[in-house]
Amino acid sequence: MIEVREVSHGFPRDGHGGDMFHVLDDVSFTIKDGSIVSLLGPSGCGKTTLLRIIDGLIRPLAGEIRIDGTVVRKPATDRAMVFQEFNLLPWRTALRNIEFAAELHGVPRGERRGRAENALRRVGLDRFANYFPHQLSGGMKQRVGLARALSTNPKSLLMDEPFGALDPQIREIMQIELLKLLEAEGKTIVLVTHSIDEAIFLSDSVVIFSANPGRVISTLDIELPRPRWSNDEEIKASEAFVRYRKILWHLMKEQLRTSNEEGRA
Amino acid sequence: MSRVSEIAVSRPGLKKGPETSGLAGLWQRQRTPITRTAAALVFLGVWEWSVRAGMVDPLFLSSPTQVAARLFQVFADGTIWPHLWASGVTAFWGFFLSCAVGVPIGVLMGRSVLLRDTLEPFIMAQASIPTVALLPLFIIWLGIGVSARIALVFVGAVFGIVVSTEAGVSNIDRRLIETARSFTATEWEILWKIVMPAALPYIIAGMRLAIARVLIMVVVAELYASTAGVGYLIFQAGASYDTSMIFVGVVILAAAGVGMNTLLRAIEWRIAPWAGSRE
Repeated sequence: MIEVREVSHGFPRDGHGGDMFHVLDDVSFTIKDGSIVSLLGPSGCGKTTLLRIIDGLIRPLAGEIRIDGTVVRKPATDRAMVFQEFNLLPWRTALRNIEFAAELHGVPRGERRGRAENALRRVGLDRFANYFPHQLSGGMKQRVGLARALSTNPKSLLMDEPFGALDPQIREIMQIELLKLLEAEGKTIVLVTHSIDEAIFLSDSVVIFSANPGRVISTLDIELPRPRWSNDEEIKASEAFVRYRKILWHLMKEQLRTSNEEGRA
Repeated sequence: MSRVSEIAVSRPGLKKGPETSGLAGLWQRQRTPITRTAAALVFLGVWEWSVRAGMVDPLFLSSPTQVAARLFQVFADGTIWPHLWASGVTAFWGFFLSCAVGVPIGVLMGRSVLLRDTLEPFIMAQASIPTVALLPLFIIWLGIGVSARIALVFVGAVFGIVVSTEAGVSNIDRRLIETARSFTATEWEILWKIVMPAALPYIIAGMRLAIARVLIMVVVAELYASTAGVGYLIFQAGASYDTSMIFVGVVILAAAGVGMNTLLRAIEWRIAPWAGSRE
């Protein structure tokens, strides 16, 4: 269980402290084990910052994260991140990029290769083991990024707009593949997105944020049947899906309107 | 690549590529080497001709054939080896020390803003001193000998290596460091698995720039503080109006510079193949 407890965070506006720019204000919610939760909100609502706080990359100014009861202080091996810009090391092949995670986790040399090969096979890229990132397409790079995270067999997966840098059709294909890969795994997934459709299609529940500063304004449970990847077309056209989209779009629109007006003021 | 030629071949009336053979094909494949060789031959031909035709006094210009004969002779009778050895030792240790000191300083400056802001003016000041001006000081400290020469080469070359290493280290994609952190990397692992590989192309570029400085400093140092070496040879030849010998020294220096640069380029391609594709 991941507990976000009264988390507030900000950055100094001028680089010297004093005047703070608040990105998160008193955010609290709980993520059950094995559920997929999307953090949805306009850009600038601090959702990416919150994901980094959950991972332990950033210490919040106030509040805390508890994972299975333990306070998060720094990144650990029970969770892994998938990044929007993939963040592969350009000097390593696909396979060696995946091994990178195991290296840092202190997995013995002999075991790393097999694990990485296995992860690469799971994302369907075993033929590309010796390709460098610049030789791969965006979708393939993100599969490597996903394989890198999965190769460490984390309990939870933290995904920061993982498909945001991909074109729309590849994005939907990747969503289907993600579900296919993970629906039976029981991993906890926290997904940052600004796509309403992505949030509905993937999640068990959606946490909706306001912007400037980021606050939780609502949480919506998505009660669509699983597995969803085998009949994605029907699910996306279903009455329930359309209803969820209407609710979320209504909430988002209000947020976008207010943040837009604030921007102009 | 292959796809492009397929398209070209499949277009009617446009037959190219595999069909051409003989001289035309050779020209297509080796254009640059051919024009380069031609340029060199024209240059050497004009030089040779102008000396033979009596337009220039051979005392001033020697001639390509005389230089070539002399070059062959000094290698054949072995008189060149002590000079090559002396210059080689100075160049090697000067270059080695400037890498061994310059790379760590560059890395530290790239990783620590405080250190960079503190040291930058001193590094810049060091760079703007004509290094040769320090040679008398090195001679006083170290005596006339190989140590003073190595010191001069070191001081001349270290700056470029520090600056390019620092540039490489401070230009690192922060997201890669964050990624490593997220996978529980320690600072030490970040240094060796992210910072050093990312900065490597810059470090090698700095070394390539340093090679030119190394050669200059070797020659200058041998002018004042040596009894052997290619630079020494050149100045001795100059003092006795032995123009051919001067050119022999110049040719050796040029060959050394080109050779070292090519070697470093090859190393760069081998260990940093991803860097080339970004250009």
